[in-house]
Amino acid sequence: MRIKRSTTLLCAGLAASLVLAACGDADEPADEPADVEEPAEEPEDVEEPADEPEDVEEPADEPVDDPAADDGEQVAVGLVYDIGGRGDLSFNDAAAAGLDQAEAEFDLDTTELEPSEGGENRDELLRLVSGEGVDLVFAVGFAFEEGLGSTAPDFPDVNYGLIDGFLPDLDADSNVVALGFAEHEGSFLVGAAAALKTENNRVGFIGGVEIPLIERFEAGFIAGVEAVDPDIEIDRAYISQPPDFGGFTDPAAGREIATGMYGNGADIVYHAAGGSGAGLFEAAREHSESTGDKVWAIGVDSDQYLTADEELQEYILTSMLKRVDVAVYETIVAQVEGRFEGGYRAFDLETDGVGYATSGGFIDDIVDELEELKAQVIAGDIVVPDAM
Amino acid sequence: MSTPGPALAPATETAPSRRRLVRPSRRWSRALLIAAAGLALLSLVAEFTGASELTSSGTFAAAFRLATPILLAGLGGLFAERVGVVNIGLEGMMILGTWFGAWGALTYGPWWGALLGVVGGAIGGLVHAIATVTFGIDQIVSGVAINILAAGVARFLSVIHFADAGGGANQSARIPESIPRVTFPVLAGGEIAGVSTPNLFGALEGTRIPILSELGALGFAITANVSWLLLISYALVPVVWFVLWRTTIGLRMRSVGEHPVAAESLGVNVYLMKYLGVSISGALAGLGGAILVLEAAGIYREGQTGGRGFIALAALIFGNWRPTGVLMGAGLFGYASALELRSGESVHSLLLFVALSLAILAVVRFVRERQATALVPLGLAAVIGWAYVATDSVPSQFVFFTPHLTTLVVLAFFSQRLRPPAAVGRPYRRGQQQ
Repeated sequence: MRIKRSTTLLCAGLAASLVLAACGDADEPADEPADVEEPAEEPEDVEEPADEPEDVEEPADEPVDDPAADDGEQVAVGLVYDIGGRGDLSFNDAAAAGLDQAEAEFDLDTTELEPSEGGENRDELLRLVSGEGVDLVFAVGFAFEEGLGSTAPDFPDVNYGLIDGFLPDLDADSNVVALGFAEHEGSFLVGAAAALKTENNRVGFIGGVEIPLIERFEAGFIAGVEAVDPDIEIDRAYISQPPDFGGFTDPAAGREIATGMYGNGADIVYHAAGGSGAGLFEAAREHSESTGDKVWAIGVDSDQYLTADEELQEYILTSMLKRVDVAVYETIVAQVEGRFEGGYRAFDLETDGVGYATSGGFIDDIVDELEELKAQVIAGDIVVPDAM
Repeated sequence: MSTPGPALAPATETAPSRRRLVRPSRRWSRALLIAAAGLALLSLVAEFTGASELTSSGTFAAAFRLATPILLAGLGGLFAERVGVVNIGLEGMMILGTWFGAWGALTYGPWWGALLGVVGGAIGGLVHAIATVTFGIDQIVSGVAINILAAGVARFLSVIHFADAGGGANQSARIPESIPRVTFPVLAGGEIAGVSTPNLFGALEGTRIPILSELGALGFAITANVSWLLLISYALVPVVWFVLWRTTIGLRMRSVGEHPVAAESLGVNVYLMKYLGVSISGALAGLGGAILVLEAAGIYREGQTGGRGFIALAALIFGNWRPTGVLMGAGLFGYASALELRSGESVHSLLLFVALSLAILAVVRFVRERQATALVPLGLAAVIGWAYVATDSVPSQFVFFTPHLTTLVVLAFFSQRLRPPAAVGRPYRRGQQQ
């Protein structure tokens, strides 16, 4: 049967191409053979960790012999984004901003990688970039925890910055610094802002995926609202449940939830839903335009007023700032100046690692009250509940 | 290529043999009757439980919006399967539709976005046709490959076109313009030449009279502030029905899906029909993707199709490979999603609705058929009814798969009555004997 044979051959060819594509990602046994990666990121060859150390000329963790930064000594920095990647106008963009800022000031050789749609290959990318002779690698997102835990020990000459994640037993000599943020404290302040600004006494919260990290935003927000006025009603909704992480990339769902909340009388909605937040801003605009009742949205991670489309800016009351850019920038500076230290670094209200944005001037009238609350949190007079 | 089982039933148009004599007009009226009864029951449940979100115009409008991409992809699947080609690649064709839709809208304007989304999806369909019709590749393998390929192509193109234009490797810039929306005068209080008109449906919804108020909400949802693109999508349902069941080319396409050898012997160009059907399939799925970008999200994001192409396949099977059935399947999923997204608490009231529906189904079966078949729905009705009484809320994890569960339950009960095109999934080589 001629036909049958040609069919078989084609199937085999197709299968082979899939397998080859998967191999291209890294020479790790890929658990995701169905993965298509953009060619620009396709490595030709990945060295085994074993024959790696010789490649690194400048052992990065050598604090004594500090080649002064202005000397022109090039530092290679790798950055692996989480799902969403550069251009998410949110969390990942904040990391990118820190990298850009450092790049403008120092002589850096940067490599940026983005995982595939579902993020299944993020650990492979981490290992991949570690093997390319870089000095410092950022793993952007809590999802890298496990991967970094197994990768970092294999590359003792590479330093790592883990954003949002936690690894046990780090100390100053580790090659990993865990850069944590007090999201609940920042969310507390935007929650207070929402409570001070709401006219309907009803506000909303949209989470991307119901995971502890996002519950932390929620808990802080609720505490902030209640600190101002415990009678304000709070609508809460999540877009998806783990292991479905589609809630961070589904603006259509975000828009429907927000439309429902606004329709039910909430006039300020805060989101911690990554890319799905774009749907919230659209919903705020649409509701305001079609009903004539102005409603607000609160952004997250970056100052979303600045990155939003002009038409949407007037609906963004404020944003909860999570200064990932500062964390990335400061870690790069430390690396360049040869004083990288492992361990844990907390970015909270006290260090201005989290905060709120005032762009647009919509909350100028309540800044004093927010600053007072902020001082109380810093002083410990108010303890913001931490869901994690 | 022997034919396993009795699948090669007479390639005629009728539903299962028991209902051979049911005329199309009766079938329509029966579907309408079921829908009306469902709405009435829903209205009573909403009234009884006080969960007004169950039947608010906001929920219905959201349901329409959420159902549209699934409806279009489902109609796409209908075209492919009616010419005998299984289209697992709907998801991938939708992805192409989202990307090309966003690119077109950003470059030339929203209507061009919709058109280019169609083109993008059609290209995906064409690839599927080349692989399965010309080369005879296994239809599942080709479909899966297209899903993977489309995701990769979209990422690749995004890096080239979106990364420097306000987007990134996996999202576009915001799409500034959207398709115009319309609020119908008289029906929903739209304006004629600047003069406002009465709002019939709005007033009906406001009456708070059971059933009447629900009808008003439903009417308001489809006539107030609704995008032309959505209206066009729903208008496609009768168009697809007409093309496939009332035109020569439609008959030829369906004959290819039922019995390609017979069709070939009568001079039908089987390959051409298959190419046509699968390409249209991709085009419709692409339009569904474009609508997701243009109407639902206002932005392209990688992964935003979120499995809607696969749900569309379920809607197709649920709809017994018919346009009205696909509409019902998509509507069901859209409604469940809308409820889940807008008001998770209402899902608890939905339990009562499901229990009552199953109880009614059991009664109908008991009266009309062998009594034993009534036992399963009756048992389920009891279990779900007990769950409703015993709990105050549905755990959020359950709420999230409400749409999928609903589809699954309905499929489980009606699958015995389904009749797929007889030759679906089987490769055909020109000149084969049977």
